[in-house]
Amino acid sequence: MEVGLGLAILGAAVATLLAGIGSAIGIGIAGQTAAGVISEDPDKFGLTIVLTALPGTQGIYGLIMGFLILFRTGLLGGELVALTIPQGLALLFAALPIGFVGWLSAIYQGKAVAAGIQLIAKRPEEFGKAMIYGVMVETYAVFALLMSIMIFMFLPI
Amino acid sequence: MAIAKMNKVYLIGHQDEKDNTLSILQQVGMMEIGDIQAKEASKEAWAELVEGDHEQESLQGLEARLTEVRFAMDFLNRYYPVKKSMLEALGGDRKAVTTSEFVANAAEWNRVASDIYRELRKTDEKLMSLRNEETRLQNLKTLVLPWEQLAVPLEEIYSTASVCIELGTLPAAELAALRERLLAAAKESYLAEVHVDRNEVYVFLAYPASLAEEVREILKQVGFNKQVFPALAGTPVEILARVGQELVMIAEQRKEILADTEKQVEFRDILSYYYDYLVMERDKKQVVTNLARTNNAFIMEGWIREKDLPELEKKLSAGCDTVVAVAREPEPGEHFPVSLENTRLVAPFEFITTLYGVPHPHGVDPTLALTPFFVMFFGLCMSDAGYGVVIAALAALALWKLKMSKMARRVFWILLAGGISTIIFGALIGGWFGGLIPLEPLFFNALLDPMRMLVYALAIGVFQIFVGMGIQFYHNIRAGKILDAISDQLFWGLFIIGLIMFAFPELKVVATNLSLASAAGLVLTQGRAQTGIFRKFLSGLFSLYNVTGFLGDILSYSRLLALGLASSVIAMAVNMLAFMLGGTIIGSVLMVIMLIGGHTFNIVINILGSYVHSSRLQYLEFFNRFFVSGGRPFKPFKLNTNYVEVTADWPGVPLQKAAQYKL
Repeated sequence: MEVGLGLAILGAAVATLLAGIGSAIGIGIAGQTAAGVISEDPDKFGLTIVLTALPGTQGIYGLIMGFLILFRTGLLGGELVALTIPQGLALLFAALPIGFVGWLSAIYQGKAVAAGIQLIAKRPEEFGKAMIYGVMVETYAVFALLMSIMIFMFLPI
Repeated sequence: MAIAKMNKVYLIGHQDEKDNTLSILQQVGMMEIGDIQAKEASKEAWAELVEGDHEQESLQGLEARLTEVRFAMDFLNRYYPVKKSMLEALGGDRKAVTTSEFVANAAEWNRVASDIYRELRKTDEKLMSLRNEETRLQNLKTLVLPWEQLAVPLEEIYSTASVCIELGTLPAAELAALRERLLAAAKESYLAEVHVDRNEVYVFLAYPASLAEEVREILKQVGFNKQVFPALAGTPVEILARVGQELVMIAEQRKEILADTEKQVEFRDILSYYYDYLVMERDKKQVVTNLARTNNAFIMEGWIREKDLPELEKKLSAGCDTVVAVAREPEPGEHFPVSLENTRLVAPFEFITTLYGVPHPHGVDPTLALTPFFVMFFGLCMSDAGYGVVIAALAALALWKLKMSKMARRVFWILLAGGISTIIFGALIGGWFGGLIPLEPLFFNALLDPMRMLVYALAIGVFQIFVGMGIQFYHNIRAGKILDAISDQLFWGLFIIGLIMFAFPELKVVATNLSLASAAGLVLTQGRAQTGIFRKFLSGLFSLYNVTGFLGDILSYSRLLALGLASSVIAMAVNMLAFMLGGTIIGSVLMVIMLIGGHTFNIVINILGSYVHSSRLQYLEFFNRFFVSGGRPFKPFKLNTNYVEVTADWPGVPLQKAAQYKL
């Protein structure tokens, strides 16, 4: 296998694994808080599940980038593409924004929504505001995904 | 499309009709009853003529009654649980009753509920004593179980004049030491192991009474714990058998008791109706605390939507003889509770507004303005026409077939609108199930030309921000704040337009002039709150920095592109993985499962994403331009039922005569 292809696959792996780790940690943090709230008031399950699921999106964004790279290399559904080392590196770099931003933003988003879950434990009517704080963190993961996709789309391969 | 006009209303009437009046108010659910003793009212001249009212005694009676009914309902739910499906949890099928049926049945329900309560209380006590007995037996079992191998009846283990006989435990590690020292000090003694568990050894010990002192000293040193079984007869095996039998009997007894009581389950519905009835009566007594009274009259104050006033007056004059309503408009600056009024198509989106906050009474209701944007953004984020069909169809089916609470209904309306929007935008720029149905996008393919989509997304953002500024502009003009409107909205708007024009080289001259002129306007006006020319100028100059805020807000709309691409890519990946499974028969089955499961997952996760991101763009980027929250939601005094759906047929039946609950 060519080095270029190997680098591209490394990119797919990095995007998925870093963002996935972040999401797992973020949801873990939110889930612990949510379970605590549910022990007092099981009726809040519907509200808490929306907030708890928020840090999960980074893992999905990472997965999207991973899939895009796999499609491009032909590893998934197609003929293997011959990639030069610079091309492979470029695909690896395309994966970095969503990999790293996804990883860290999911953790911090997990903390933000955990606090939001505590907020709605006391004041369920403030659900909208609790959600906004989480989504404000998410913005940067969305931007990172956008940049990853942009680099990927405009790579001359 | 606005904040409803409110009137302050005072009701004055004879004490005899107080309860009657409250009943009517509760049935029509139009008026929010405020605390008339609160500081504002106590300034009025009449304030010293009246005193606070309350009906503590009957309130406490009702509360006690509610506790009883609650106990009975909880008891039945605990021992005879009903499985509630997901659909029922949406707000469910509630029994429809009219007010007069409700009240006419109350006496009967009261009788039934009292009987059930007494019965269940007795059952509960029986179950409780069974549980205590069970615990006692379980403890006994744990105590005796290690001695199972001992073939001697326990009552025969006692010391005689010459021989001491004892049962006891000691740490397993000490057993060898004990044997050795007993052999040295009292050769005639007898030691038998009955049972060994992880830490302890259970022993039978006999020794001559003459050597009792020496032996006890040894026992103390090895940590021997003497065990006695007072009031137990028979060998351990016999005792355990007896305990086992008794436990079985208890289980049977419990089953019998529960089977006996099970017939009460058929009254579960009645209990819940009666519960609702009691809550209704309780609420009436509770609200009395807000009223004031003289010897013969009552007075209450509250807020009502202006358009509801004639209806309320009509109901009051039909149901009462002495009650007078006096209404007035809010005084300038007076804070009234906020009730949003929108057409039927838009009203469900009040859900999105109120999740953020209720608008200030003198502010703007953003619901109408946000609705088209929210729906459009939802469609752009989902961006798959096939998914749109699924969402719209399921939401429509739910709305058509299911009975649900008002809140759930609103959410499904929003989903239906979002689904339809998804079909439109999916057909224009996306695909059908990620290309599973190979239809070309009607406009262009956002996945292949993301730059073009990005430009559109940002353009939509600019448009929404301008709409927001336009709303504030209009609001300022109407409020007479012309200077604010010109400097905060007009100059900013022109400035942004000027900056955007730089993107088109042929407009360069216009762009330069426009942005410089509006920037000058901003520098001159933005510091107007400051004192001193220098400060005014500096603060005006610094305000230009806010352009970064605008820029950030506009860039934020790029998420419309990113989320749209995200759902498309996942959909494509699902298809690709599924088709790799195909080929054999088993493979084809797996492929279908993969397609259904994968797309379902993608739909669910993208509904979440589309909803939160579409909301966020309203809350942060849009509301920022004009929305002032801080209103207090309008909470009319009304029927608050959980299990029945009451339609008011009042007046018609004399409510108070029918309501003969005995306390």
